[in-house]
Amino acid sequence: MTDAVRTSGLFKRYGPQVAVAGVELVVPAGSFAGLVGPNGAGKTTTLGMVTGLLRPDGGRAEVDGLDVWRDQVRVKARIGVLPEGLRLFERLSGRELLHYNGRLRGIPRADVERRADELLNVMDLAGAADKLVVDYSTGMRKKIGLAAALLHNPSVLFLDEPFEGVDPVSASTLTEVLRRFTASGSTVIFSSHVMDLVERLCDWVSVMSAGAIVAQGPLAEVRGGRSLNEAFLALVGGPRGTGDAGLTWLGAHPSATEEPR
Amino acid sequence: MNEPPPWSLPGTVELFARLKLRLLAGNLRGAVERKLGFVFTLVMAASLTAVGFALMALVRLAPRDVAVDLVIVVHTVLLISWMIVPLLAFGLDDTLDPARLSLFPLRTGQLAVGMFTASATGVWPLATLIVTAGGLVGLATGAGGVLVGLVAVFLQFALCLVLSRLVTTSLSGALRTRRGRDVLAVAAVFVVLLAQLPNLLVNADLGDPRAVLHGVAGVLRWTPSGMTAHAIADGGLLGLAELLVVALVVAGAAWLWIKVLNRALVTPDASTRAGSVRGGSGLVDRLLPDGPLAAVVGKELKYLRRDPRMRVIWFTAVVVTAVLAFSLSGNSQEAPGPWLPVVLTSIGAAMIALQSGNAFGIDGPSYWMNVVACGSEEHFRTDLAGRHLATTLVATPVLAVAATATALFAGHPAMIVPAVLTAWGVLGVGLAAGAVTSVTIPYTVPERMNAFTGAAPGQGGQAFASSMGALLGVLAGSLPVVLPVVLGPAWVSVVAPFYGLLAAALGRRLGARIGFARMPDLLAAVSRPA
Repeated sequence: MTDAVRTSGLFKRYGPQVAVAGVELVVPAGSFAGLVGPNGAGKTTTLGMVTGLLRPDGGRAEVDGLDVWRDQVRVKARIGVLPEGLRLFERLSGRELLHYNGRLRGIPRADVERRADELLNVMDLAGAADKLVVDYSTGMRKKIGLAAALLHNPSVLFLDEPFEGVDPVSASTLTEVLRRFTASGSTVIFSSHVMDLVERLCDWVSVMSAGAIVAQGPLAEVRGGRSLNEAFLALVGGPRGTGDAGLTWLGAHPSATEEPR
Repeated sequence: MNEPPPWSLPGTVELFARLKLRLLAGNLRGAVERKLGFVFTLVMAASLTAVGFALMALVRLAPRDVAVDLVIVVHTVLLISWMIVPLLAFGLDDTLDPARLSLFPLRTGQLAVGMFTASATGVWPLATLIVTAGGLVGLATGAGGVLVGLVAVFLQFALCLVLSRLVTTSLSGALRTRRGRDVLAVAAVFVVLLAQLPNLLVNADLGDPRAVLHGVAGVLRWTPSGMTAHAIADGGLLGLAELLVVALVVAGAAWLWIKVLNRALVTPDASTRAGSVRGGSGLVDRLLPDGPLAAVVGKELKYLRRDPRMRVIWFTAVVVTAVLAFSLSGNSQEAPGPWLPVVLTSIGAAMIALQSGNAFGIDGPSYWMNVVACGSEEHFRTDLAGRHLATTLVATPVLAVAATATALFAGHPAMIVPAVLTAWGVLGVGLAAGAVTSVTIPYTVPERMNAFTGAAPGQGGQAFASSMGALLGVLAGSLPVVLPVVLGPAWVSVVAPFYGLLAAALGRRLGARIGFARMPDLLAAVSRPA
């Protein structure tokens, strides 16, 4: 079985700053994969280059064995993407956004409408389907974004921080949908820095630090008996000793009886 | 410590003045474009100040009554500008939004003094003060006059600031909701209209300008800003009495402002009541074959109705054309030639088509959704075609109306059909030019468009290059079709729409060839933070 995603020597620089320095990302097909790393490790840049949103300065990226930049038609038909941020067509309603997305990809209108209705129901968005996306909350936006990414039934789904700023109820809806998706043999790759979540959901973990993959493999292997959080901190260089210097004034409240007025 | 320290007036003034200067300096750090922009602002402000001061001082040479009338009008215009301009530019200045400061333990009085200081610190307030002081040179007579005049100048300045604050603060709640900003964005159009006002007034021929001035000043004389102007001229007891009234108005406005400020700080942002939109798919969907083309056309038409930026763009195009038509065809002594409707309608068509010179800019950061779906040059071409079709669907009837109106107005009803046909041709050429500039010089259109910029910070150059490029393209491409109609027989215009169709198709082909190859760059260019 081919890997769902395989990159070799993927490289990107912004001016003098190297954002991604030779990433070798591998994700087996059918896995629920977490891409973890501290802020600025290059997760978003990597996902952008694998999904064709960002042109790499060097290296190759393959999805289902197809070169992302040479075989765009086939690759783009196979992938679903939810990029970082919540940048959606704000002036469409949730339903219109899904319809637009499906029909842009050439799916017949009747199919698009049926799929959109089902997705809206599953995502618990049926009540807000005709409101403009600009008025959606963060959780609703992540859900409608995921629905849009799923509409054309991709085989690999890329999600950049899908759970950031999402309330617990919406988060459990999201995980439920994603679990069903991977159970059918499709692949999910999502970036996050919430270790607990990755530990709970994923069976494959890739750890990034300073623009490169520092560990990668099945969850148990990367964890090596520790909690993922401990393993992660050990890999990326955990907290340096905070020491006692400074901050002596912090927490010193003589009395709080007087109301500031 | 938890107890906020007692505050002093000079301390607060100094603190906020320094905060404002710090903010100004911070805005300039790093980006060369912003530094250039600031230098440009400085030069503008300095020259306007110099000219304004000189003109106000030169008023002395005019007859006394005219001079007073002029200063009254200038004072009122300054006051109104102070009330309107910060609203339209809301967001340029952090100190304008009291919510930013609501978490600091500031007393209302302190906050009021601070925000007053912050708004008095800056290039434009200084310019206002100096220009107003020019009136002192222009009008004041005698030592008493100068003394009264000095007070009047400062009162006028304070009046501008306080009323400006009052307006922004009372609207700041509304301005933070989406709907409020939408309304304001459309209001920015009126600045464009205002710029056309002198043109219209001159053409409208209202009569003796001095009589008009006198009439206007006679009304404005009893407004607070008029009274400060009159007080400078009077310089006696009447002037003092007038200043007393103005001082009371300033104090009253300040009191009201503090009250509003107090309320604004404790009232949460009015939540935007989200309205539903109708789900109907419309006529276009039924007529077009199902697929990406229909999807793009439907989305573009929805954006045309719902996005305030699109509304502004279209409204501007239509209004400017109407103003041009009105001022060019209505006022010449002899009957205008039959070419006039053709040229005017063609200009309108070019204006409308130029609005699509940055087709992906309004999509902005959400353009990724098209990028992840677009896998081939052909698909890219379909995307462009959808946008063109949407523009054409709206522009075609608009241009037909414009042609009819201008032709009738100019007294050449026979030219209606040639004008429409030519304009449609020009529209096609414009769309072609726009398709090319859209992919070669893309730039971000900020979410919150104000009346002064149409591009994200640092992309002003691209915006300029894009519109100049599109303009040149339209001009060069349109001449072969407009000139024969203007100079030769009108029936030549029959060819124009086909010429336009051909041009648009070629433009799309070229645009797609270039655009598909640099799609990631395109996405990056339209996704700049704004």
